[in-house]
Amino acid sequence: MNAVPRLDDILTRADVWRGGVMATSVQPGLPTGFAELDAELPGGGWARGGLCELLPTRTGVGELSLLLPALARLSASELSWVVCVAPPHPLHAPALAQGGIALERLLIAGAPGRDAAWTCARALDTDGVGAVVAWLPGADATLLRRLHLAAEANRSLLFVFRPAACAAEASPAPLRLQLDGEGERLRVHILKRRGAACALPLSLAVPRPALLPAASLPAAMPACAQAAPTLSPSSPPPLSSLSSLPPSSHALARPVPAALAARRASLRLF
Amino acid sequence: MPLDARPCACSDAAPPCAVVERERIVVADDRAQAAGIVSGLRLASARARLPELVVQPRDPAQESAALTRLACSAGAFTSEVSLAPPATLLLEIACSLRFFGGVERLFAGIVQAATEQGLRVQAALAPTPLAAQWLAFAGGADAGFGTPASLDAAPLAHRLGVLPLARLALPAAQEKRLAAFGAGTLADVLRLPRAGLARRVGADFVADLARALGEIPDPRARFVFPEHFSQTLELPARSESALALAFAARRLIAALSGWLAARAAGIRECFLDLRCERTTGAPPALTLSLSFAEVTRDAQRIGRVLDERLARLQLPASVESLCLRATAPEPLAGREAALFAADGSSARGHAARGAGGATIAELIERLQARLGEHGVYRLAAHPEHRPENATQKNAPLARQDAQGTGVAQHGPRPLWLLPAPQALSEQGGRPQRGGPLHLLAGPERIESGWWDEGEPSAVGDVRRDYFIAVSQRCEWLWIFRSEAGWFLHGLFA
Repeated sequence: MNAVPRLDDILTRADVWRGGVMATSVQPGLPTGFAELDAELPGGGWARGGLCELLPTRTGVGELSLLLPALARLSASELSWVVCVAPPHPLHAPALAQGGIALERLLIAGAPGRDAAWTCARALDTDGVGAVVAWLPGADATLLRRLHLAAEANRSLLFVFRPAACAAEASPAPLRLQLDGEGERLRVHILKRRGAACALPLSLAVPRPALLPAASLPAAMPACAQAAPTLSPSSPPPLSSLSSLPPSSHALARPVPAALAARRASLRLF
Repeated sequence: MPLDARPCACSDAAPPCAVVERERIVVADDRAQAAGIVSGLRLASARARLPELVVQPRDPAQESAALTRLACSAGAFTSEVSLAPPATLLLEIACSLRFFGGVERLFAGIVQAATEQGLRVQAALAPTPLAAQWLAFAGGADAGFGTPASLDAAPLAHRLGVLPLARLALPAAQEKRLAAFGAGTLADVLRLPRAGLARRVGADFVADLARALGEIPDPRARFVFPEHFSQTLELPARSESALALAFAARRLIAALSGWLAARAAGIRECFLDLRCERTTGAPPALTLSLSFAEVTRDAQRIGRVLDERLARLQLPASVESLCLRATAPEPLAGREAALFAADGSSARGHAARGAGGATIAELIERLQARLGEHGVYRLAAHPEHRPENATQKNAPLARQDAQGTGVAQHGPRPLWLLPAPQALSEQGGRPQRGGPLHLLAGPERIESGWWDEGEPSAVGDVRRDYFIAVSQRCEWLWIFRSEAGWFLHGLFA
């Protein structure tokens, strides 16, 4: 029989953490691609093997862009598969390819209702699956716990998107993030992590398609003069006049015969 | 070294039952035997002893189908199978010993596989086919005659010696003659001089003795594995439950897997016909097509896909019989055993398995079986200006070409693209979504698609000016304006 272990030895174990300090992890995490977030996560990134719950307040605030660097790294560098389960809208392939995801190792399963959790569990049982991204609005704590254990056993990442209203409920996820938009940045509030609570929300510079003008936050909406110069409230211009804009921003996939173009311009006015 | 198996057409139904042929009992189950029903008894006497006895007529066609099914499933262990009708199967296993981890393990595996076929077997192991056959007729390992199961030639005469002559299924004349000598066991016969025995009982019997002892060779005709697999299984009772059907189909799948192993082949697709009870209006048969992401012969994998299909199925009527068909086997290289197998041995059937999980191909075919053929897909970027057509859904595991030509020349694209553009209201010339939208960049003119205008399910000719907009709630949107007004088309998630 071994001697009774000393308390200090127990406290230095990697799977024991104290409430006051952030937990350490034996296995380094997968870098998130955002240095501010890495610094606040145990293991310095997304924990390999485990559930991470993401609670965006609404869609379109940059919730997927937060995951893109990690998913791109998994699919393109580590050659593992990424499985998307029950996405609420169709994913757009050119944007994913722009984000660096290897599309040939991205599997999408449109699983309605209760099949979504079943699909997650099957995907987490599979060798070669690096991450599962699932939208489970109706998941309960038992189900999440089961999925978390499956993800731990297979050492793959599991991201579950749930409505922000679930933030008040208890959850077995070791990491819970509430996501909100803040201008062109993404505000991440770490609701729960292993170790000390994180009081202040982080503000991350997720890639955005355009820049907000310096003085125009949505609260005070000025006229968008530079962005859309021809859009004045009084007289919306016909489409034919818009085509005088610089050619770099145009997609015109056909040679327009002169007669046809003239006919269209005459017919299709606002 | 052959191995014997003797199927008896018995079921484990609750009432005692027996099989009869020409008004005589052929075989009876345990409960009937306990009541004194033995084979050879007249049906009337049997009825007198046990009034509740359930009697089934003997069906030779079904028995031979069961034997063929057993022979196919034995293909998982060895390719040298021979039939000895009506009810004996001989397997040559000397070449398979190493792969399956020794005699005991292999023997236990074969007996288990036969039991899973729903047959009660008497199995025995001996260095010569006839010796194994005799040992099995005498009761096999269960009766204590086969033990110790070994392939050594030295103790063979001793092992055969204890067998009672009455149980060797010898021709009646020979058996009567030998009984007249006072010979009760094979040892008594072996003690007699062969020349005299040949004169008095017949040269055939002496030659059989020599074959059993391995003194002269005993070639057997090989079982030819059929070109196409098609096996029918009659269900003992009509069933509507998917669970019962899946259980019964496991027997056919085991036979299919053995057949494929013996032919060094695999399948991408197989069909299960469910023949239903004849009712008015219902089709007599229902065919399930099971397809796999890659060529396989793993029985567990086929079974899992079948389970998902059956769970989704609405049966029109009770099912009477199942028929599994595989018409297009494709060559598949030999069985791969895991290098670091959990039990340290190369167990059967575990082809191409990793440390414990399934492979991605198995995942895909299981998801397809449950979610439908189009529920699982991969994406590819297609060089096309209209956003609806820039994403292509591809079948998983289909070969994808490296794309990327012609897609680099466009502006930022959103991660979510709505399936159909959502109309936005307009106030004072400005699109609204929870307040006026703030246009940040644009317009990007997309004008394309005149060639499929008017075609069904095509996007058609579009003339749109796309803008990147942000709402008052910090949603980043991709909106466009066309002749019909403002529309929301994507979300920069």
